[in-house]
Amino acid sequence: MELDALKKADAEFRALGATFIAISPQLQSFNREFREEKKLTFEILSDPGNEVAQRYGIKFQLPEDLREVYLKFNIDLPKYNGDDSWTLPLPARLIIDPKGIIRYAAINADYTVRPEPEETIVALKKIIER
Amino acid sequence: MGLQQKLDTLKKGFEGQAPKEVVEIMHRATADLEKSGILDATVQVGDEAVDFSLKNADGKEFSLKELLSEGPVVLSFYRGKW
Repeated sequence: MELDALKKADAEFRALGATFIAISPQLQSFNREFREEKKLTFEILSDPGNEVAQRYGIKFQLPEDLREVYLKFNIDLPKYNGDDSWTLPLPARLIIDPKGIIRYAAINADYTVRPEPEETIVALKKIIER
Repeated sequence: MGLQQKLDTLKKGFEGQAPKEVVEIMHRATADLEKSGILDATVQVGDEAVDFSLKNADGKEFSLKELLSEGPVVLSFYRGKW
């Protein structure tokens, strides 16, 4: 649902001269399926084993009882991610300036809370103006 | 409707029909994650972004460094299609 909402924002990001990129631990084939299902206009990169997420400090492991719940709902993370680590990234939205400095970071421990795409567009405009 | 409003509606719908113990496990896991201090250890505004090179859905490599040569990059870490 978040990436669906960001599809609309992607056009604005482009107009502002920025590139929007999504990163997911899931296997390439699932990213491909998702891109086609949702007709996404941006790239989704595959982060095997959440290694990049780890370097950004947002990788975490699901507790045992939650794994059971996920499996009950057919969310078989080892199948999707191609490893049995049961790790995920915290949902995070970052803006990185051309010098490689992080200028905006919206990271939440509660995966049901996400920033509005409009908030990120406003932040991007401010960064460009500076 | 905004993104958060849609997510809240979805959550309410799910929690209204899911078994109580399932909802409890999910809430506890989120609370534990918040208490773990993970948010103090994440990247912060002002940090230098670590470079990476990852493959897109077609197997083509994209590096952060190359993307940044064209302008700012908006990065979204996303759990999965499920």
